[in-house]
Amino acid sequence: MAGSAAPAPSRGRSRVVVTGMGTVNALTSGGRGAVVEALAAERSGIGPLRAFAPEPGGSGLAAEVDDGRLAALIDGAEARRLSRICRLAVAACRLAVEDAAIAPGAELGLVVGSEHGDFRSSEEFAGGYLRRGPAGLSPMIFPNTVMNTMASVAAIAVGARAASVTINQATVVGDLAVARGAALVANGSARAVVAGGVDEICEIVYRHLCRLGALSPMGGRAPEGCRPYAADHNGPVLGEGATFLVLEALDAARARGASIVAEIADMAWGSVPAAPHAGGARTLDRGSPVRRLLSARARPFARCYGAANGDPGVDDWERALLAQDLGKGAATPTSLAPRFGQHGGLGALRVAAAALDAAHGGAPVLVHGIARGGCRTALIVGESSAA
Amino acid sequence: MTEKEVLDELKTIVVERLRFDPARAADMTSDTTLPKGVDGSLGLDSLDFIELSVGIEERFGIVIDERQDLSDEFLSFGSLARFILSKSPAA
Amino acid sequence: MTSDPSSRVVVSGLGVVSPYGLGVKSLWTGLSAGACAIRPVTAIAIEGLRSRVAAEVPAEALDALGVSRRRSRADRLALAAAREALADAGLDERDRRGAACVVGAVGGGMYEVEEWYWEEARSGRPAPGQGSLRSVLPRAHADAIAFRFGLCGPRETLVMACASGAAAVALGADLIRDGVVDTALVGGVDALTRICFMGFNALKLLDPDPCRPFDRERRGMSIGEAAAFLVLEDADRCRARGGRAHAWLAGAGMTTDAHHVTAPHPEGEGMVRAMSQALASAGMAPGEIDYVNAHGTGTPQNDRIEALALARVFGEGGVLVSSSKSLVGHTMAAAGSVEAVVTILALEHGLVPPTANLTDVDPAVPFDCVPVVARPTDLDAALSNSFGFGGQNVSLIFRRATD
Repeated sequence: MAGSAAPAPSRGRSRVVVTGMGTVNALTSGGRGAVVEALAAERSGIGPLRAFAPEPGGSGLAAEVDDGRLAALIDGAEARRLSRICRLAVAACRLAVEDAAIAPGAELGLVVGSEHGDFRSSEEFAGGYLRRGPAGLSPMIFPNTVMNTMASVAAIAVGARAASVTINQATVVGDLAVARGAALVANGSARAVVAGGVDEICEIVYRHLCRLGALSPMGGRAPEGCRPYAADHNGPVLGEGATFLVLEALDAARARGASIVAEIADMAWGSVPAAPHAGGARTLDRGSPVRRLLSARARPFARCYGAANGDPGVDDWERALLAQDLGKGAATPTSLAPRFGQHGGLGALRVAAAALDAAHGGAPVLVHGIARGGCRTALIVGESSAA
Repeated sequence: MTEKEVLDELKTIVVERLRFDPARAADMTSDTTLPKGVDGSLGLDSLDFIELSVGIEERFGIVIDERQDLSDEFLSFGSLARFILSKSPAA
Repeated sequence: MTSDPSSRVVVSGLGVVSPYGLGVKSLWTGLSAGACAIRPVTAIAIEGLRSRVAAEVPAEALDALGVSRRRSRADRLALAAAREALADAGLDERDRRGAACVVGAVGGGMYEVEEWYWEEARSGRPAPGQGSLRSVLPRAHADAIAFRFGLCGPRETLVMACASGAAAVALGADLIRDGVVDTALVGGVDALTRICFMGFNALKLLDPDPCRPFDRERRGMSIGEAAAFLVLEDADRCRARGGRAHAWLAGAGMTTDAHHVTAPHPEGEGMVRAMSQALASAGMAPGEIDYVNAHGTGTPQNDRIEALALARVFGEGGVLVSSSKSLVGHTMAAAGSVEAVVTILALEHGLVPPTANLTDVDPAVPFDCVPVVARPTDLDAALSNSFGFGGQNVSLIFRRATD
């Protein structure tokens, strides 16, 4: 029979550790040091919207990435061919891979989560046709109208040739990407995976969300702002950026002397039955894998990061779900939304923060998430005993 | 149309559709080479060439058959300009 | 995707809405007859574009889906196909509650959003239909399906261009093999959209006429629309509840070229690895595969490189090959799951569906591509390829279930 690449050796389940981080967010860009710096910063990344004129009566706030800082991360020749959201993804994936000092190859996978993808390019592509007919259709822009474009270019940039996956979901897509990435490492599909999320603020998505009444101030109730779990919470504030973690099989990380931050000790994702876009504290988990994971925990967590972002439909729901599974005494989780704004990279930032906490030892840290429509996630991040 | 006029139109396409810096385009000449893999070229790949072809078809009203091997014609701005002139209905 | 033959996954349900109409039966009737479902476009305006054909879901079928017309075209296709698959598997409410839901999607509800957006651009005034934006994102289908059918397991929407539907099968199977769930509803959906048709037109990848995969004179692809869903189940669990298996999902491989955003690796490097990994995960040798359902889009480049990759893995002439895209077009995010269903049906019926419109095989394709007429053959195992734009490759291996 004709030859082919040698079959992959059989692997059992691997333990999964975090060996690198890369982030481009409203406050910082860089490797794990930039994550630490952003989390410790006195100021929030949310400020008055700069990129375009705010929608009248809509949201005037956003957590934006400065274009100058982004330009410094991608050289001109590369930038020519990358849409803005692709530049964010490529920059952050490269930073993560450099931070981990991990090699490219057929054993390196990629998982990218995004809430809205490259809608800017979709609008541009359609606009070309609407203005000039078929000749106005740009072949170069077209690939960006498919949400896997960020993963395509990032895989090329970092040489990731194992599975590359793109996931779409609201609110918790960063958590989902890290969970799926960890699963790919745990079951031996890849030796390491770069996993995280990315979104950019573009005018068409922003105006659509304003008109849907999906951003603070929801219902026009002042003041505007991101106040997760607070009694006067009135909606999320948009952010943008990309954050990726390098997840690696423990034995491979040890073998190459990687700098291990923490371990993804366990994870689960599942669904709480809710209509699309619906959310609310009255809808409880009917036995999803997340409920099974959390209600089986005997020992309390050192800390919990939550997906709550100021949207009452998310905040109240998260509190109710955590009370259901961890008991009514569960402490209010920490939200990073006031710092970075709501975007696809936020879930990965939560896991990164949890990993940095867990690195100091002590009980594991929970990263919990729930989205309107019922997608629920949980990652348990612990100290790596190999660290 | 003269070769110089065609060259100027090509530079416009390369700025508008291929997103090259206008300042850089100003320095391009008919000797500037195009394809990736040629030393000192603009480094255009297959997708750039499709975009460039669509721009040329729109600007000059000609049809480029993608099944033909046109690597010689697309080697430099000069060779491309001469190819366009040879195909144009009114020179 | 793990090399763990002790974790065995079966396919216990199938559901499809295709360019032949509603249901698995109409899909198989069309495929086995070699009837090409690529016809003149009716659903979108195509003036000035180089192709005038596509494989649309027939209007009569769209009207008979039994799903509210307020939903997007793509959501309706997805819900109807998911409903058939779940009913076919005979899952009860408790099984469904524990089931994962993994959906491959690209265009989402863009068909309706385009209509609204085009109208606003044309008239210069706000147009009705802005509500369609609420269903535009790819995740809309999984969100709707999970709620409608009470699925509380892991929910995931995968956007991997032409490999989305196949990736959903592979990653859904992982959830079962990893012990997370016993059951997974997996599949893909895409409705015809202007952006997709115009995009491939702009890239000069469309054949003006119905596509001709593997033919010397092939000129490009034909766009199609469809939804296809499969119920995957842990084999022991399926047997214990008295379920019936259409086929085994024996193995899967997922790789990335990391070469170019639109062009595949010139030597099919990622394709070879995907097929090899699928074989390794199934614990099978290439010689045990009787049939390959190719990605086979009909573009000069894909078919040539895929043939090269097939020759590397199976040897020249080492396996029967056919392209279902010659019959139902390239159904985008649905393609991988539609073709998984086709591959399973081929195994069940012992019949290889043909490559339509194939009159003169390209000499660079050294395989029997089953031209025009379906081929009755003893089939034990078959492999299905989906190679997405951007170099994302998925290969799935199915084995006939012998009860």
